Amino acid sequence: MAEMSLKPKRVEFGEIWNPLSRTVESLITLRAVDRKVWNACFSDVYTLCVAQPEPMADRLYTETKNFLESHVRDMLANKVMAKHDAANANNTNSRPDLLQRYYTTWTEYSQGIQYLHKLYNYLNQQHIKKQKITDTDTMYSNQTSAAGQMEIGELGLNIWRVIMVEYLAEDLVRHILEGIAADRASNGTLDSHRVQVINGVIHSFVEVENYEKVINDVVNNVDNEKTQKPDSLNLKLYQEHFEGPMLEASGAYYMIEANKLLQRCTVSQYLQEVIKILECETKRAEKFLHKTSLPKLRKQCEEKFINDRLGYIYSECRDMVSEERRQDLRNMYIVLKPIQDNLKAELIQTFLEHIKNEGLETVYALKGENIHIAFVENMLKVHHKYQELIADVFENDSLFLSALDKACASVINRRPSERQPCRSAEYVAKYCDTLLKKSKTCEAEIDQKLTNNITIFKYIEDKDVYQKFYSRLLAKRLIHEQSQSMDAEEGMINRLKQACGYEFTNKLHRMFTDISVSTDLNNKFNNHLKDNDIDLGINLSIKVLQAGAWPLGSTQVIPFAVPQEFEKSIKMFEDYYHNLFSGRKLTWLHHMCHGELKLSHLKKSYIVTMQTYQMAIILLFETCDTLSCREIQNTLQLNDETFQKHMQPMIESKLLIANSENLSGDTRIELNFDYTNKRTKFKISSALQKETPQEVEHTINSVDEDRKLFLQAAIVRIMKARKVLKHNALIQEVLSLSKVSFTPNIAMIKKCVESLIDKQYIERTANSGDEYSYMA
Amino acid sequence: MKVTIKSWTGVASWRWIANDENCGICRMSFESTCPECALPGDDCPLVWGVCSHCFHMHCIVKWLNLQPLNKQCPMCRQSWKFNIH
Repeated sequence: MAEMSLKPKRVEFGEIWNPLSRTVESLITLRAVDRKVWNACFSDVYTLCVAQPEPMADRLYTETKNFLESHVRDMLANKVMAKHDAANANNTNSRPDLLQRYYTTWTEYSQGIQYLHKLYNYLNQQHIKKQKITDTDTMYSNQTSAAGQMEIGELGLNIWRVIMVEYLAEDLVRHILEGIAADRASNGTLDSHRVQVINGVIHSFVEVENYEKVINDVVNNVDNEKTQKPDSLNLKLYQEHFEGPMLEASGAYYMIEANKLLQRCTVSQYLQEVIKILECETKRAEKFLHKTSLPKLRKQCEEKFINDRLGYIYSECRDMVSEERRQDLRNMYIVLKPIQDNLKAELIQTFLEHIKNEGLETVYALKGENIHIAFVENMLKVHHKYQELIADVFENDSLFLSALDKACASVINRRPSERQPCRSAEYVAKYCDTLLKKSKTCEAEIDQKLTNNITIFKYIEDKDVYQKFYSRLLAKRLIHEQSQSMDAEEGMINRLKQACGYEFTNKLHRMFTDISVSTDLNNKFNNHLKDNDIDLGINLSIKVLQAGAWPLGSTQVIPFAVPQEFEKSIKMFEDYYHNLFSGRKLTWLHHMCHGELKLSHLKKSYIVTMQTYQMAIILLFETCDTLSCREIQNTLQLNDETFQKHMQPMIESKLLIANSENLSGDTRIELNFDYTNKRTKFKISSALQKETPQEVEHTINSVDEDRKLFLQAAIVRIMKARKVLKHNALIQEVLSLSKVSFTPNIAMIKKCVESLIDKQYIERTANSGDEYSYMA
Repeated sequence: MKVTIKSWTGVASWRWIANDENCGICRMSFESTCPECALPGDDCPLVWGVCSHCFHMHCIVKWLNLQPLNKQCPMCRQSWKFNIH
């Protein structure tokens, strides 16, 4: 040993092994080993492995193995089992020591094995690893593998496992479980040394089967815990001997605890306790167990405290929800969160019902003129309230948000009865109208309210009904110049476009464009007049609308003889227009026109705004002071209905006086020369600007017509693409196409299919009753 | 003068003066657009031929471009001339 040489030589095994084994013993018992000795032993291992004529690696391996086996047996007998004979087994004084003794021995041994592994580095690297490679080769050639040797680290741990752990496992686990139980009993105040011992023993079950981890921890001197994937670990021993019994014992403990809680707690307290227990158990698991056990123990805990007690937990659910006991609901949510979604259904359903009831209560008692405002604002309040609650209590859980959506949708789309239509779409459209009309509300507030309004709008199923009402109200605002601001109008249309797409707002956009085009047109027309030195004497402002885009109602023209005071102006404009746009026909919508008149026959002069028909009537009094109804009607060629509708407000305003309430035939109408008014500028209220129930009904009916057209077009489009389709598949496709604007009832779709069959767009397939095919 | 008109705000609607409801080429309603356009009205106007037939301007121009020699009205086969009022 005086000189070191790498050259293989002839050696006597015993000569080298005997001193070497003494160093091995020192290492394994963690006694000091001199650096020189260590170096010498290192080369001894080498020498034996490369000895001539035959390498002695196998013999070295066997001797080392024998040595370790006897060492471990010795430790088992003398250090671990010492004083632990049958007589003392039940003696509590000696009790805590099995774990302690095992732990001490294990700490020493596992450390020693790491050193030994290093010492045998050459054997490990050159002899055993190579052998393993050839092993895999021979496996394929179906030869029995030779020695099945392990690296020394693995060998050492394996010996420990076989001799020590297999023998002691049952006792150890029993003691560990007692330790954990003691920790539970003392609320997690077990002294830290004891915790360290138990933790160490538990982890030894894992480490003993994963020598690479133990070795690498030392070699790299880093904590591999984080980088090591749990599934690359061999956990068989740990799981079989320890984890199984531990989970079982914990489960039993949880069950008893849950029972105890049930005896003394209200649901509310129970929830609080369970949350506490879950927290403690998680901490406890982190303190003692291998990390792979954490989710399993948690699961066990949830199982016993939550899943098995759902009936109890839910027993006060209804009260908690209806009284909105936030803390309780919060606790209930925390407790139910980890369990499967379908088991939370009861809470969610109860919550949904609660919102629905509140919504119905706040909305369906409404009456009066401003019902649309109350409807939207109450509904918004409900929505806002529960949105806030979901954020606060349920962590914005999507299950709860969708319950809120369902509840709101069901309140908003509820029909008061089978026969009556749902009026929400109308209310929401009118609410927008109120906001967009001239008022004293500031712009920012209006903007905010319009945005909020979209929240409610999105829940409406009959979006097409909304569109109808909205476009009619928009038309009124635009024609009568009642809009608060064009920016706000445009903003609202854009919001709707965002929510429902371009198709939905197409016509609204066109209406909007018509108004700005008309402004340009008026400017051009006025310039034209100026250029040609024409003075009409009237300040003229004309709106020209595209017939298709505006909800103008019946297009049937009411006969009307335009007074000659207007005629020239109208003619001038028409000529100008036709010159500008050829091929277009203009139709005057006199019932929508209005103007300002200056009245000079009274003590003061007044400026009065009124409708065209009313202007025409009062203009007749230029040449006389009294006329009969018949005379007026004949001159202006007005039908009874139009005449009376427009005459009535004139009488009510007292500008004209009638000698009978019956405004027809010979009833005399007289100019009221005694008329006075505090204001010099006023307006004759018109019957037309107020909405009549007939109008509402008309709007709703026209929706039905549009739906039929839409459905027929959709069916044709689908059938054209598919050629042949089963009835149910067709219905599904139609439903998904119409979803954006309304939910059609199946009967209506069927009717449309029938009518398309009649019109020979599609036909029933010959051999199948429920299949259609497209007819080109 | 007892009564004088100060101002008048008139409202009128316009539609195409057409001898048919639909364009003979694309079969779309004149009230709406040719298949290529999004907005009806000034952006997708109608035009008339001397033969009195009327089409979306986009449709008839496309049609005429497809006829290498005899530019005819697709409805009556008379030679096509735009009718400019």
